[in-house]
Amino acid sequence: MKGLAPLFLGIFGTFAFSWVGLTVIPNWQIGHLNPQSDEEGTDIYPMPQSGMVTRGARIYAANGCNYCHSQQVRAEYSGADIERKWGDRRSAPRDYIFERPALLGKMRMGQDLANIGARAPKEEESPSPTGGASPAPQAAAASSGAVASAKAGSPPPSTAASPSPATSPAAAAAPSPGAIASKPPTSPGPPSSPPSKSPATTAAGGTSPAAAPSPPSAGPPWPEQTAGLPPMYSAAWHHVHLYSPRSINLDSNMPSYRFLYRARRISAGRSSDALRLTGSDVPPEGWEIVPTFDARCLVAYMMALNQSHPLKDVRSAGAPAAALPAASPSPGGQPAK
Amino acid sequence: MNENTPPSEPPSGQGMDYSEIADVHEVHAAVQREKREPRVGREPLSIWLIAVYGLAVFFGGAYLGRFSGNFSGEALDPYGGEMPTMKKVTGPQGAQPEAELSPRDRGKKVFAANCQTCHQANGLGVAGQYPPLAGSEFTTGGSRRPAMIVLKGLTGPVKVKGQQFGSAVMQPWDKTLTDQKIADVLTYERSEWGNNASPVAAEQIAALRKELADHPNSFTEPEILAAPDEDLAGGASAGGAPPKPGEAAKPGEPPKPHG
Amino acid sequence: MNATGIPLKEPAISAAAGDTEQFERALIDASTRVPVLIFYTSAVAWLILGTLLAGFVSFKLHTPDLLSDISFLTWGRVRPVHMNVMVYGWASMAGMGTAIWLMARLCRTVLRYPLLLVAGAGFWNLGVFLGVCGILLGDSTGYQWLEFPSYAAVILFVAYTLVASWAVLMFRFRRGEQIYITQWYLLGAFLWFPWVYAAGQLMLFVVPVQGVLQAAVGWWYANNLLFLWFGAIGLGTAYYMIPKVIGRPVYSYHLATIGFWSYALFSSWTGMQRLVDGPFPAWMVTASIAATILTLIPVATVGLNHHMTMQGYFPLMRYSPTLRFTVFGAMSYTVFSLVGVLISLRSVARYVNFTQASIAYSHLGLYAFFTMVIFGSMYYIVPRLIGREWRYGSLIKLHFWASAYGIGLMTLMLLAGGLTQGTGMENPSLAFSESVESVLPYLRGRSLSGILLTVSHFIFAYHFGLMLFGLGRKSTVPTFLNPVEAEGAEVAH
Repeated sequence: MKGLAPLFLGIFGTFAFSWVGLTVIPNWQIGHLNPQSDEEGTDIYPMPQSGMVTRGARIYAANGCNYCHSQQVRAEYSGADIERKWGDRRSAPRDYIFERPALLGKMRMGQDLANIGARAPKEEESPSPTGGASPAPQAAAASSGAVASAKAGSPPPSTAASPSPATSPAAAAAPSPGAIASKPPTSPGPPSSPPSKSPATTAAGGTSPAAAPSPPSAGPPWPEQTAGLPPMYSAAWHHVHLYSPRSINLDSNMPSYRFLYRARRISAGRSSDALRLTGSDVPPEGWEIVPTFDARCLVAYMMALNQSHPLKDVRSAGAPAAALPAASPSPGGQPAK
Repeated sequence: MNENTPPSEPPSGQGMDYSEIADVHEVHAAVQREKREPRVGREPLSIWLIAVYGLAVFFGGAYLGRFSGNFSGEALDPYGGEMPTMKKVTGPQGAQPEAELSPRDRGKKVFAANCQTCHQANGLGVAGQYPPLAGSEFTTGGSRRPAMIVLKGLTGPVKVKGQQFGSAVMQPWDKTLTDQKIADVLTYERSEWGNNASPVAAEQIAALRKELADHPNSFTEPEILAAPDEDLAGGASAGGAPPKPGEAAKPGEPPKPHG
Repeated sequence: MNATGIPLKEPAISAAAGDTEQFERALIDASTRVPVLIFYTSAVAWLILGTLLAGFVSFKLHTPDLLSDISFLTWGRVRPVHMNVMVYGWASMAGMGTAIWLMARLCRTVLRYPLLLVAGAGFWNLGVFLGVCGILLGDSTGYQWLEFPSYAAVILFVAYTLVASWAVLMFRFRRGEQIYITQWYLLGAFLWFPWVYAAGQLMLFVVPVQGVLQAAVGWWYANNLLFLWFGAIGLGTAYYMIPKVIGRPVYSYHLATIGFWSYALFSSWTGMQRLVDGPFPAWMVTASIAATILTLIPVATVGLNHHMTMQGYFPLMRYSPTLRFTVFGAMSYTVFSLVGVLISLRSVARYVNFTQASIAYSHLGLYAFFTMVIFGSMYYIVPRLIGREWRYGSLIKLHFWASAYGIGLMTLMLLAGGLTQGTGMENPSLAFSESVESVLPYLRGRSLSGILLTVSHFIFAYHFGLMLFGLGRKSTVPTFLNPVEAEGAEVAH
């Protein structure tokens, strides 16, 4: 080849072609999506993330969770994601418009987390999916009354932190979570909750199960309760799982993230957010394991991962009416392709 | 080119590096024996290679054409599935199969998704752990008792078809399953595997749910047996009640906020 | 040239011309000594660090409790450190070292502005070091191959600008009309990299694109880095080393032209196939799959060109370390591309997406192809830089076989494991955890292959150290893998 000019031009030209084709044009096509809403301008989805969730996303990325967990549900024509109940519809670009970083993931050494927040027990579900809600870990021992018989072996004090129905944000922000607890023994005074905790709960809108109809739900293929442990996929459960994955699932291949937790001497009664550990993980007498602020952000982020809201862009597997309580998003229920 | 090694090289190649040899300080042995800088030949293109190009272009182009989704930013489905905008129009039809399912078929799905793990697809349960549903006196008797068990769960020892079960706990389903689904799954269980009992309607379950609203815990066998072995009230209209038309037929409608 | 008979002698050149050329080469080599050796030494140091990390990562993947209580040793931080050390510490620095030497040689001019390069190497090392510390301390950004936090990325970019501006300057001083094939690739690599890197950084961190496009830009970056930076340097190096060692012209100029331009055009469009079935417009993914299929054009062309150049000379691989490593790498380029086409087709991708198979693909590209070619070039270049011959043929032999078997075993394990994992994941009647458990035996096999690679790298680093410090057996005859028989062997190394 003679002469530099054609070489330079060709090198720039080919690459400009790729750059425009694979980044600029897609950015023009799907780079400026807005949240959807209904005709009245309500029921907005997705909603911007709260500060805690944003911080949680960074912790998720910094600790490399995305190297083993994807956050995308594939469509029916490819893969068994929907049959595995990882979501009742495929993920669409609009689901991610507030995600930064968008951690789609490329590996599934662990299960998909696109809807991990939607799998939480109903009492903890945020008012609107990904809607900036960061359910406070205090509301962890959800539905303890209904399942009390199923968890005979659980350490008694912690089950008391039952969710207070209709917790107003203001009330949640106040560092006295045990106020409406059904069992009085745990009344962790303000000193026992670190100051960093207060922002934790500010964003948590209260849900009032009495007022709202029970959200749509196919029966999940996973058990709702595990013996002696918090309800599955509740915030408290996530903390126990992060701290000691193999105490929940013996075959788990996940490393533990104990550095996100710290041991603390119990001063004035066991604090409500202390982990309910079992077996060899139980701390020595007089000590408790509590999540750091990072761990709480991480769990808030996971609880906010929720793509269960129907999206106009894609078909939900169950039925278009999935928002109504009676519709069943069961795997076989999708219309034929 | 070992032959080009200058005569100044010591007879033995061992024992020292050539950078240590005074005579060849400027030109290293490695450089001397090197072959010429590469040149380029001018062989023509072979016909086979052109065929390979043709194949690659053909398949690449065909792939692009087949799965392009019309280069639309909205078409996520490469298999030419309906465009999402079209889906809005055709939604009601698309949802029809769901709406037309009989209560029994809907119940079968609910069963497969929730109950089958323990009670098994054949309804026989697991000996010693999970009681059978096929031929069970609870399932095939009046609809009140099975409805109570499904709504609130069952714990403690229980005797079914003469066998004693005790280890497993049945969880309450009132939080996770709607009235319609519980009715459907009961209808299914009561008419499958040779069972032949009356169907159950959603209204009946709704009434029972209200009735049991104050009951905090799972039932035990004595509590169940204390309840009358009767069908739930309002069973006349039972069975065929299809889902209300509004439930499945308005796909384009934005979902209502809930929870 | 007669294409059938093996020329036993170099076509005669006049003694005077030969002397001048030799003298010129020796001058050029001497001028590249310091910068190239800085790059090489740093690269080897990073290689050893990356290898140790790789073993750690590999074992942790099937022994999750290993040292998991220490925040900076958690798997999710060590893994990106391993990848980035290998990509930016080892592969980029070794690649730049080779590229610098080749540029000087092919421009037929002594290396000008060596300080640019020395400063570039220094900043580059600093950038990688800061990035590694940043990731370990929890500053990783979470995008594949772009995990370095911004403070490290800026330093890397500065370092890179120094090196690239040197490359462009060198081109201005070049002598001779012809621009050899290797120079096309190297110039391309030097000009593509800053664009890819800047575009990736800008679109992800400075003016971030929305939502899923971040993932698209991330994979576009990673794939272009693999093809247009590493791939281009690797192919360019092979285009120099093969004809150089065997002393025969490259088979065809036309093939080289077609191969280069189709490579630039098609391989730059790949990347989105990694996002198959994800929340993206179908055409983006399909375009990349089609581009991956079209990369068969440069693969066939370049492969044929190398093959025809080598034809009749394959026995020389018995002796020449450079040739053996380079040809292994060039062949791996074909395998890498074929595997790439196979696993990107939608019908296959639905099984291997989200599995270890994509790790196999990266290793094929970055190790079996690129790293092996660079090893080959280092075996050629280092003796010319420091005026010493490689100490022991047996060490080179061990290095080659441990590397070749190691990477072969690793690829097989990861591909088979990925397929097993994928079919398990695809089957909804199997619990998800079973798909994970089914891959664990393969991951143990991968750890085994990692031991082989660790051995090979330690041997290489040891040998390199002997060379650097002038220790070990001294010699003025070239070190061959096997003793050269008296007759017929025409190895210039």
